[in-house]
Amino acid sequence: MLMNFDKLGAWRWILSGICALMALFLLLPILFIVALSFGNSRWLIFPPPGWTLKWYGELFADPRWLQAAFTSAKIAVIVMVLSVAIGLMASLALVRGRFRGREVLRGFFLTPMVLPVVIIAVALYAAFLRLGLNGTLVGFVIAHLIVALPFSIITISGALETFDPSIEDAAILCGASPWEARFRVTLPAISHGLFSAAIFSFLISWDEVVLAIFMASPTLQTLPVKVWTTLRQDLTPVIAAASTLLVLLTVVLMIAAALIRKGKSR
Amino acid sequence: MLSFLTPARRGSGLGMAMPALLLLLAFFVIPVAGLLSRSVTEPVTGLQNYETLLGSATYLRIFFNTFLVSGLVTLITALIAFPVAWALAIMPSRVAAVVFAIILLSMWTNLLARTYAWMVLLQQTGLVNRILMAIGIIDQPIQLTNNLIGVTIGMVYIMLPFMILPLYGVIKKIDPAILQAAALCGATKGQALRRVLLPLATPGIASGALMVFVMSLGYFVTPSLLGGTANMMLAELIVQQVQSLLNWGMGGAAAFILLVVTLALYALQLRLFEGKAR
Amino acid sequence: MTSPHLHINGIRKTFGDVVATDHVELEIGEGEFMTFLGPSGSGKSTTLYILAGFQDPTAGDIRLRGKSILQTPSHKRNIGMVFQRYTLFPHLSVGENVAFPLRVRRAPQAEIAAKVKRALSLVRLDGFEDRMPANMSGGQQQRVALARALVYDPPVLLMDEPLSALDKKLREEIQYEIRRIHQQTGVTILYVTHDQEEALRLSDRIAVFNRGRIEQVGTGPELYASPATHFVADFIGDSAFLTGELAEVKDGRATLRFTDGTVLADVPMHGVGAQGGKAELMLRPERIDLSDTVGPPGASLPVTVEDVTFLGNNSAVTARTGWGEPLYIRLNFGHPMMASVSRGDKLHVRWQPQDAHVFTKE
Ligand SMILES: Nc1ncnc2c1ncn2[C@@H]1O[C@H](COP(=O)(O)OP(=O)(O)O)[C@@H](O)[C@H]1O
Ligand SMILES: [Mg+2]
Repeated sequence: MLMNFDKLGAWRWILSGICALMALFLLLPILFIVALSFGNSRWLIFPPPGWTLKWYGELFADPRWLQAAFTSAKIAVIVMVLSVAIGLMASLALVRGRFRGREVLRGFFLTPMVLPVVIIAVALYAAFLRLGLNGTLVGFVIAHLIVALPFSIITISGALETFDPSIEDAAILCGASPWEARFRVTLPAISHGLFSAAIFSFLISWDEVVLAIFMASPTLQTLPVKVWTTLRQDLTPVIAAASTLLVLLTVVLMIAAALIRKGKSR
Repeated sequence: MLSFLTPARRGSGLGMAMPALLLLLAFFVIPVAGLLSRSVTEPVTGLQNYETLLGSATYLRIFFNTFLVSGLVTLITALIAFPVAWALAIMPSRVAAVVFAIILLSMWTNLLARTYAWMVLLQQTGLVNRILMAIGIIDQPIQLTNNLIGVTIGMVYIMLPFMILPLYGVIKKIDPAILQAAALCGATKGQALRRVLLPLATPGIASGALMVFVMSLGYFVTPSLLGGTANMMLAELIVQQVQSLLNWGMGGAAAFILLVVTLALYALQLRLFEGKAR
Repeated sequence: MTSPHLHINGIRKTFGDVVATDHVELEIGEGEFMTFLGPSGSGKSTTLYILAGFQDPTAGDIRLRGKSILQTPSHKRNIGMVFQRYTLFPHLSVGENVAFPLRVRRAPQAEIAAKVKRALSLVRLDGFEDRMPANMSGGQQQRVALARALVYDPPVLLMDEPLSALDKKLREEIQYEIRRIHQQTGVTILYVTHDQEEALRLSDRIAVFNRGRIEQVGTGPELYASPATHFVADFIGDSAFLTGELAEVKDGRATLRFTDGTVLADVPMHGVGAQGGKAELMLRPERIDLSDTVGPPGASLPVTVEDVTFLGNNSAVTARTGWGEPLYIRLNFGHPMMASVSRGDKLHVRWQPQDAHVFTKE
């Protein structure tokens, strides 16, 4: 009876209670910063004595915030495109290829996900010092790509595995050339996987802190780096404003992802 | 069954994996190997970096902090995640969908934004201290940041989804008929929980716990923002050695130890759970 | 004579040491419904895949209307195929699935619309254009696949066990549909199945596959009445085999001696066998009679009844020959022996001379 919600009796309320508390625990801090970003207390008193938009004003008045956001977006978009393209090719090899050591290769492709980012960051930092890539866009893109790629490969391989290659054969017999079959049939059929991989990759790059701290230079920094350096100085409400905008972006992307999933199941 | 290579699939050999392979070799394997090799070559060839790391109280304290926090975080998340995952597996799906949305929102919200929230909430004049004083548990604000309490709270917050989601997957797969059978056999709810549900969920708990533990060991952002320099963890040590002290030998040695522990636990995870799933 | 519509000319295909097909030789006429029948692993699919161009033969040729197509890539062969598995494009509606072959051929929009409508109507799925494949039953999906394969009027339609994933009732329903569509369109069909009933129900001719080779080609009645090999006799219809020794071989007829000394003279023989070699006598349960009197020489054997099972409209009798081999006889309801036969009876089985066949044993 433990797996039947209606037959749990009093336990039902205990479980629901724990679940609700946990949900509040996860949700409240996020709502809390959203609220603080509109509060007029520089000392982050809660509940705020009054409401204001001045933190957003400060945020947008400082060109460094905008600059950092723009850099973040630029890097995230490049990483997204490369991660999906390279991830798609790697997935095709892993799912469709017939060569020895395929499983080993799969494991290898996923290791950057398992290893602590801090190790990758320090190692890349040392390597980039020699190559002169620290503080460059290329350096950022490579670093973020390394950690985004495993997620891309997992997502796209997953989609590709559920796609029966006979369908591609059918397209070819229908008269499509092998490349036409790939572009008109296989890619659209796994498009949900490609979109998820794109969203994952974008978010991973967009949110990446540790790698970015090491890659950044005074002239080139991403939004998380800007938040990080500001945070280490003081807890200004401007960060609450920036965080709120980041939450907003997350919500938008989550809705997009949900819509894609819905579109797939239809 | 159709194991032949159709024309469409002939091109999908190792060649397609090349871009990813080269990228990872050049910018992952070689750099990491380079970093690790510096641990035995700088400042001079030898194991002296490891001797220093494992021989001095200062550094052992850092290892202790790292394992203590990771262990606590794992324990607390497991205790919270089990009832939550269980509830999610059986509650009406509309309600569960709301809870899932919250879990995903928190998971995907910028890490710094979330850590910032806890820095504000836990500070001396923060909401947590004031609520605790208002309900009379304490009468002086207590120190909740710049120590391991703050780190633990912040990390539990971040790790919870990583425990709930896999555990949910395991519990959801349990056939309700098994628990109906337990009830018909005369088991009370407590007995069914202890003797049937928990054992069946154990692989999920263990797998999630290992994952959370491993992730916590190498975490950098939350410990350094909520813990302060007095209560360092391993990842902070690596960064400090490399960035502030330019001591690549010590940084590499600490990284190597972290890497070995991580990979060993990961291999354990694969051995324990992949083998069983098949 | 003009060249056949489709000529499968001595196809051989090996995978390393495995010989998948060997010396497959077949001529198929335009509009014919030809079925490849055989157990799993006998090389049927391999032959179809070579036709489709998914695999290249190790040796041999495929000629369509007199011209070899081996050098033509799959997508230019213009061949239609329905697969065993569901291969509708999951992201396209039913209408777009059927339109796909026309779109890649860059057909004009008006023509596409008309042909799609016609093809869907042919498989009785009018008005399903906007459905997504995921929302259709297996039977419906295979009908759409059929429409998609027919919409460009292929010279040959290949079907590789298209109904094996469906349940029996649905399978019979769609078999009937396929027959109707064949008659309506006159398309040449190559159909693969391991189900003899399905093969008999659908086909003009059947090619029986065994271990990569075609054992016999013929219409259903031909295969049943005069199987060329032990395998065909065993695979099509029920049969019993009695093992003996060739006492004499002359003009394609044999005299058989069994271990207890019983002799059967003048039975039609298949295969090459020398005097003294082993051979088998094949009899079909429904083509032999049970009687208390001995029959003409060469068409009768004495047996002892071991078991009688009443099955409604017939009875199944198990009898044993003098040398101990079992023999099964089917007595239709109303047969004079049906009421009286019982265990231990010493009787005679009798048959028409053309119903017995001798196969040499290697
Ligand atoms: N790609 C392949 N590699 C190795 N052996 C194969 C391959 N495809 C088929 N075979 C072998 O060839 C034989 C014929 O297979 P197939 O044509 O699929 O038989 P059927 O369709 O009659 O069941 C089988 O023994 C099968 O194992
Ligand atoms: Mg087959």
